[in-house]
Order: sequence, then C-alpha cells, then structure tokens
Amino acid sequence: MASAGSGDEKAAAAAMITLISSDNEKFEVTEATATLSQTIRHMIEDGCTDGGVPLPNVTSKILARVIEYCKKHATAAAGEEGSSSSFSDAAFLEVDRAFLEELEEFDDAFLEVDRATLFDLILAANYLDIKGLLNLTCQKVADSVKGKTPEQIREMYNIVNDLTPEEEAEIRRETQWAFE
Amino acid sequence: MAPPPPPPELMEEIVGEILLCLPPDEPEHLFRAALVCKPWLRILCDPVFRRRYRVFHGAPPLLGILHKRQVVEGDPPARFASTTSMPEFPHPGSDGRRTRPLDCRHGRVLIHMLEDESVDYLVWDPITGVKHGLPEPDIEWLIYSAAVLCAADGCDHLDCHGGPFRVVFMGTFEYEDNIVASVYSSETGVWSAQVSFDNSCEAFAKHMRDGCAERSWYTPYLLPSRATLIGDEIYFTIRRQHTIVKYDLSRNCLSIINSPPHNVYGIALMVMEDSSLGFACIQDSSLCTWSRKVNSEGGTEWVQFKVIKLESIIPAATSSSEPFVVGSAEGVGIIFISTDDGLFTIKLNSGQVKKVDKPDVYFSVLPYMSFYTPD
Repeated sequence: MASAGSGDEKAAAAAMITLISSDNEKFEVTEATATLSQTIRHMIEDGCTDGGVPLPNVTSKILARVIEYCKKHATAAAGEEGSSSSFSDAAFLEVDRAFLEELEEFDDAFLEVDRATLFDLILAANYLDIKGLLNLTCQKVADSVKGKTPEQIREMYNIVNDLTPEEEAEIRRETQWAFE
Repeated sequence: MAPPPPPPELMEEIVGEILLCLPPDEPEHLFRAALVCKPWLRILCDPVFRRRYRVFHGAPPLLGILHKRQVVEGDPPARFASTTSMPEFPHPGSDGRRTRPLDCRHGRVLIHMLEDESVDYLVWDPITGVKHGLPEPDIEWLIYSAAVLCAADGCDHLDCHGGPFRVVFMGTFEYEDNIVASVYSSETGVWSAQVSFDNSCEAFAKHMRDGCAERSWYTPYLLPSRATLIGDEIYFTIRRQHTIVKYDLSRNCLSIINSPPHNVYGIALMVMEDSSLGFACIQDSSLCTWSRKVNSEGGTEWVQFKVIKLESIIPAATSSSEPFVVGSAEGVGIIFISTDDGLFTIKLNSGQVKKVDKPDVYFSVLPYMSFYTPD
C-alpha cells in the first residue's frame, strides 16, 4: 500500500501486526492485542515492526496460547476504555461484574495446562513483558508451593537440594516454627 | 515399560517471579521456600527481591495483635498474640512488671512501662528487637491515648524498621475540661509544647455546651482506643457520642469532627481505601461503615459505605450478646470484631471472616503489621 493512502487505510494497516514464532509460523494480530506485551509495544513505538516481529524464544504452540490470552484481555480493556487500547488495573475496576466473572472463567480454563506448558507460558510472558499473564501463571505455581515442605517442593519441581547441611541447619534453627 | 518422564524443571530466571506471588500473610511460605535450594535462598535474601516483594503486595500483612482496655476493665494479660503460624512474639511485660501497650504502627509497638524506673514509654520493634525509651510528657492527664508513627521523610511505610519516629500523646487534662496533645520526636528527644482547644474552636465549645446540658458537669473523656493516622492528621475519640478529635501534625492544632449517627458502644475509626477517614460499628447485627467525603459544596460529610449482614458469616452473631467492633487494620482492610466466641477479623472487600484469638474483654485491638521475610 502506498504511504499516501487515505487515513482509514493507514489506520487499518497500522492496526495489524505480524508476529513470527521460533518455528517460523506467522500470526496476524491487531495492535490492541499485540500491545498487551510491553516488549512489542516498545518495538511498535520505535517503528521496528515492518516485515513482522520475530520472536525467537517463543514456539508457535505457546505463541498461539499467548495470543488467545491477549485477545481476550485486549477486548476487556477496549470495551471499557473505548478508543484506548491500553490495559490497566484502573480500567479493570470499572468493568462490570458479569464481564469480570467471564474473564475469571476464561483465566481458570486457560490455566488448565500441563506443567511444561505452564512454564513455557511463564517464560513467554516474562520475555514479552505481559504483566497480567505473568501474574496469572506465576500465581498458579505459587499456589502449588503454598503449604508444602521444602522436600515436597523439591520433589514437585525436580529441584536438587544443593544447600550444605550446615546452611540448612542454620535456617531451620532460626525459624524452626516455619517447619513444624 | 519405560519410566515416566521426569517433571519439567523450573527455570531459574522465572523463580523470582513465582516467589513474588507467595502471599505475605503467612511468613512460613517464604521461609520454607528459602530452604528448597541455594538459588531460591539467594533470590529470597536479595534486597532487590525483598523490596520488589513489598511493593508488589502493597501493604504489610497482619502478624499479630496486642490490645488495650478501658480503665475500669483493667489491663489485659501481657501477651502478644500471633495471627499467623508464627509463634507469639515475646511481650516486654513478660518479666512480670506491669506494662500497657498503647499502639502498633509502622513496624513498631508503643508500650507504657508502668513499673520501670528507667523509662516511661518504650518504642519497640519486635522484628529487629530494637528498643527506644522515652520520658513521660509534662502533662497532668486524667485519661490518655498515644500513637507511634514513622517520621522518615518520604517513607512509603512498607518497611520502616529503624529510622526516626514520633509519638503523639493525647489526653484529657486532670484539672481542666479540655483535651491536650503533645508530640515526641526521636530526633530531638523532647516533647513539643502542648496544644489544647481554645475559645476560638466553636465545635469544641458546642461539644462542651451539649455535654453540660445533659448533666451538671461534663468532662470530655478521651477514649483509650487506638488512633487512626491519615497523612499528617491523626484521629482520636472522645467518649461522648464518639466525637472525633483531629490533631494536625504539620499545623500543630486540634479540631473536632462529629461521628456519623449511631447508638452503640463499640466503634472503630479506620482508613478507607481512598485514604478518607472511615467509621465502623455494628448495629442490628450488621457491620456498618461510613466514609468521610467532600460534598458538592466543598464541605465534608459522612457517606454510608458498606453494610454487611453478620448473621450468616460470624457464628456467634446471633448469640445472647451482640458482637461489637474493637478496631481496624489499615492497608489490609480488616475490621476486628469481638463476640462471645472470640476475636474475629472480617475483610471489608470480601467479607471473609477469620477467628484470630480466644474470647476476652476487648476494647481496642492494636494490630501489628509488618513484612517478615528471610534475610
């Protein structure tokens, strides 16, 4: 399209962004959806999105899920803020209860994934800097750690205990109550 | 048959993000996580992580409570109850000498040392163990209350251990029907010149006239309940109609605010989410709250905020004696309620109820709030 196209055409063109996964799959998304990611928002602001945004750290499988999340939450934000596409907690407070509940149900269903996928989603949310998705996925893991002993946590997440017996004894001695 | 694949590993780069989500209201979560492995311990003890953790959660959690009573009820036992799985904190009066806790705020506890010859009041940090003694203000008081607050410039009060503090003393004069206030500064080590109401305060004059109209003499008894701090303004309560006395720290002056219409004994002032002054009490088995708002004429008025039916959520709410409000915890949106079954907290936004201590004579609960994380 020529750069001298009409205002409407320009707006429509500018509103679509192409995201390219590590396995070279292309995803067309609206700017409103893409800018839930602060990383992509900055790239758009810097004008570095022509020809698509390569995301070498995110597979197509995970990117599809991330986009699904962003679409839903971008709709939530846009519904409340009209023309503005940014997603903020303040705007969220205004959303009516029914929509909040629907969003909560979406989030719950979204988290119904195996552990490997959950970890990949956290990595992607961290890399793409999507605050809501990062909190959502990390809270799920944090909830699974709550109330568990250090041994149970290690077993659950395949973690090797590399603390020396002395270090371990010192921590236990200082806060014995936490382990009873 | 092949063994099942090992569970996926938790990448170190995201562990911090996950640990950030552990709730602060049970410190054991973080202490247990610290014992998982070296990387987790390193992350949890990193000052940058600890700062992020406090900012992420916004308000220090409730860790424990002290409480104080009206004069006729006698002082409560020397006990600092924990509201988490942590053990009880040691109480400075546990050596048998009489003490009277007066306030908890900004990570500190203010205690009146009634039988200590070397110090009159103690400001104590139960997390660090640091103690500061201060003398009695030069005031002939009949009944009093006092508050401790952080005095560090620009502090967000998420972690005010150490640093300068102030103590605001307010009382009813022994020989004069007036209210008096004075402020101690840890930086100067002295109490400020006392301030009281003068004739120019029409609201106080009216309070006195109304009191005197009911009986031959009237003394404005200050209630020994915990004060509420909002910015540079601190609010205490007079017994009659729970009239509120505001002391403005920056302007060093007193003023009067009438409380919303109510006819019960147990009330609490509180800080609302929008930082306005709040008022809570139980009437007709419902927790009623008000918020002090600026109206369209530019004046201030009480606006009813929330009414929560207690019958369904607190088991003893329908028993012989009505439950009553005995305090609030700012930042975490908690109201304390005393019933025949014990002391309960109720969260204003969710209505969630938790029993935090056994039945006792409660008048004013002093909530101790602080982050407690591995270091």
